Amino acid sequence: MGKRQGRERRLTGGVALPLLGVFLLAAGAAWAQGAPGGETEAYRSFPLIGSRLAVWGAAQLHLNFAAFILGVPMFAIIVEFIGWRTQDARYDWLARQFMKLTFVAYSATALLGGLLTFVFITLYPRFFGYLAGIFGPTMWVYAGLFFVETFTLYLYYYGWDWLSGPRKGIHLGLGVLLNIWGTILMFVANAWLTFMMSPSGVDEAGKLTSLWGAIYNPTWMPINVHRLIANITFGGAIAAAYAAFRFLGARTDEERAQYDWMGYVGNFVAVSSLLFLPFAGYWLGREIYAFNQTLGITMMGGFMSWLWVVQAILIGVLFIGSNYYLWLGMERIPGSERYRSYIPYLVMILAAGFIVWATPRSMVATLEEARAMGGTHHPVLGVLGVMSAKNTAVNLMILTTFVSFLLYRRANRVATVSWVRSGMTAQWIIMGVAAAVVTFYGVYGYFVESIVRIGFSVYQVLSVLAAIVCVMAIDIPMFRRARSTGAIRWGQIAPRSQYVLILLAVSFTWLMGLMGFARSGIRQHWHVYGILRDTSPEAVTPALGYAANMITAVTAIFLAFLVLIFWLGGLGERGAKG
Amino acid sequence: MRVPLIVKVGTFALAVMGVYAYYANSIPQIQSTLPEELSLEGGNVTPEQLVKAGEGIFKGKGTCEICHRIGQKGTRAPDLAGIGATAAKRKPGMSAKAYIIESLLDPRAYLVEGYPGIMPKVDRPPIGLNRSELWATVAFLQSMAGTVDVKLDDIPKTAGAVVAAEGAAQGAELKLPGDPKAGQVVFMGKGACIACHKAGAIGASPIGPDLSQIAKIQTPEYIMAKILDPAGMGTMAGYPPNMMPPTLGQTLTAKEYIDLVSFLLTLKGEAAAQAPAASKQ
Ligand code: HEC
Ligand code: HEC
Repeated sequence: MGKRQGRERRLTGGVALPLLGVFLLAAGAAWAQGAPGGETEAYRSFPLIGSRLAVWGAAQLHLNFAAFILGVPMFAIIVEFIGWRTQDARYDWLARQFMKLTFVAYSATALLGGLLTFVFITLYPRFFGYLAGIFGPTMWVYAGLFFVETFTLYLYYYGWDWLSGPRKGIHLGLGVLLNIWGTILMFVANAWLTFMMSPSGVDEAGKLTSLWGAIYNPTWMPINVHRLIANITFGGAIAAAYAAFRFLGARTDEERAQYDWMGYVGNFVAVSSLLFLPFAGYWLGREIYAFNQTLGITMMGGFMSWLWVVQAILIGVLFIGSNYYLWLGMERIPGSERYRSYIPYLVMILAAGFIVWATPRSMVATLEEARAMGGTHHPVLGVLGVMSAKNTAVNLMILTTFVSFLLYRRANRVATVSWVRSGMTAQWIIMGVAAAVVTFYGVYGYFVESIVRIGFSVYQVLSVLAAIVCVMAIDIPMFRRARSTGAIRWGQIAPRSQYVLILLAVSFTWLMGLMGFARSGIRQHWHVYGILRDTSPEAVTPALGYAANMITAVTAIFLAFLVLIFWLGGLGERGAKG
Repeated sequence: MRVPLIVKVGTFALAVMGVYAYYANSIPQIQSTLPEELSLEGGNVTPEQLVKAGEGIFKGKGTCEICHRIGQKGTRAPDLAGIGATAAKRKPGMSAKAYIIESLLDPRAYLVEGYPGIMPKVDRPPIGLNRSELWATVAFLQSMAGTVDVKLDDIPKTAGAVVAAEGAAQGAELKLPGDPKAGQVVFMGKGACIACHKAGAIGASPIGPDLSQIAKIQTPEYIMAKILDPAGMGTMAGYPPNMMPPTLGQTLTAKEYIDLVSFLLTLKGEAAAQAPAASKQ
């Protein structure tokens, strides 16, 4: 044990610290350059692929890794906590597995962060100088926090055995601290990029009037929340894919059982946080509209309108994939046959929701198309394209996914309490009412002004959330002393289920790239919207196909990196065994 | 021979992404366009280029989309889908081309039923399109269900003259002797505008239209008149009539009134910084 850790420490520690140095250096250089301002060259070019792609690639890769290392510790600590309270060693093992992944990905994040800063400083000196001039002090805070976080991570990871038993509480405390540092770190970085989209705290010429104003700009909080949730989703999905990979390569039943379970937990985390993402997304969208109509219109109806169709396809894949995984998972649970007949109905709802969600709203068709349709609305499909229909569809899909989960939950349990009948009836009524409320407002939305309609989405969301809470409140006591029809046979799941997990992880990563493109693309030819114009030869925001190719390339590189890093991380393990 | 797992999984992942990328490449490809001050006079342009430029102005510098939608009723103004055809039927004896030009240069000459005369003259500040831009805009409007036959010479020589003479859209801005800060106080206090209107960072009421960009789309004259005689200026489409208090002319002092208008004229939304692009001419 000790030997194995020693080897790992040399490996990762040896990489992380120098990187930190590079990173600090980079930040310092930027700061120094930002101070005089004015005279610096505006742009330098990058060979072969050009500056824009260079910065794009570095940013997307860095964000992929950062999302992963911020998301995973959040649920790792919860898993560890469960293990501590239940004294079930499996959970502790799982939390440690998760943290191991974080640990090996950590230095890659730092490296890429340093690279990104470097790319900015060398290729976009004037822009970076401006940003450093506004945010200089926060960049120091960032660098400092990074150091503190690294330190906490080391303590947390290597202190696992030392801080076990009666000292477990301290260990958990460290884990919480780790998450706090990580969250603040992300909030700081978010201030920079949201400022680019919705600058505030500066006067019309772009001179700083209030640093706090610049930090707390209109889209800061929505992005913070959106990313916080999305990171958890992303971390869960990647961890699940890792488990799937290990499952597929496992040699023993014991290993298969372990990784099957790990994949299940990772996916559970991903899906349950995914349910909240659309709401955070709407909030963000609303803030963007409120900040600047033009920005909002560019985003939803302008040259980016098709992007949301592509997003819809991916969201559809995610929902259908996660439901499919749950259904496949039921096969390893004795007693689940009772619920099989529900599945076709669930498929139908999901498919219908998917179609509505994928129907575009107003789109910038080519002019010819627009002329042929007599407007940018399709005469028939236009009806399904509006927000009312979309909200309704997504809420019903969320509800359906919840039903899948519920069925999964009770697959091997038979409730024994005396009030089962009324309990179940109540649950169905609650879900029926929620579905009715969602549909009612969806239809009613067609008859009211848009300003009123926006309010409706809140009722829809609340009814779904309330239904989930109420149904669970009945479900938990109802199945507390349930009779079991047999234990879950972990590891006995069809291998294609593991490919579903990989599909989900790939789709999440790709979707993340797409959303990143949307976020920075709506600024169009501005570095800082309305303040600092992009005057480089590459100021035009590319079309979706081009962006998709780039996203695919970067995602492929990211996944290859992950495989490499996890493989490196696993070397120690193999050495210890052999 | 067994295929190694990593190859299988890798191929699978690439295939998934390939499908996404393929789909994204199969839909219409639209790049964002860079807004440029347009000068087409003397140049050779095809109708297609003209229409494209006009579309850019419609969405960008013209800020038409704040009021108009294509294929959809906006809250403030009529749907312009099919305007190339409907324009011919608006005024008896007037061609579609002439009508469109008139509705840009003198919007109040003919009011579409159900809409008040709130549209500003687009060759004047704050929108301030020049002749080339007007030409392109008309071509774009004609392209929607009509034939593009507008020539630069169809646009009156005097159009856009104010902007050209002043050198820049902002140069023509009316300077009022009011104090915007004091005006904001009136807005939130005595005038009680905030009860119904949002204005930039302040207010949130949805009862009346959002005024955050009012200075970008409206002339000072309109704003001044609207406060003194709300009903006389017509009711904005989509809002109830007679909501604006009609007595502001009596209750506000002259100073409060001027301050208030000065304040409203500062409300340019955030994209105000785009204006310098117009001053290059
Ligand atoms: C402040 C809101 C506003 C803005 C900005 C605005 N319009 Fe209008 N527009 C209106 C209203 C209201 C009407 C209907 C009343 C009328 O006919 O004047 C109208 C009418 C029109 C019409 C006649 C429509 C018909 O069916 O007869 C055309 C053409 C038009 N606008 C084009 C434009 C273009 C092009 C721009 C941008 C350069 C623009 N408008 C900017 C409010 C606006
Ligand atoms: C009781 C609610 C109410 C109050 C108070 C009120 N307004 Fe309005 N206002 C409206 C409504 C409703 C409209 C749209 C209908 C119309 O045009 O009359 C409107 C329209 C306007 C418009 C035209 C907007 C456009 O886009 O063309 C301006 C300008 C305006 N108000 C300014 C003010 C100012 C300044 C005050 C304070 C002195 C004020 N309003 C107070 C309800 C109100």
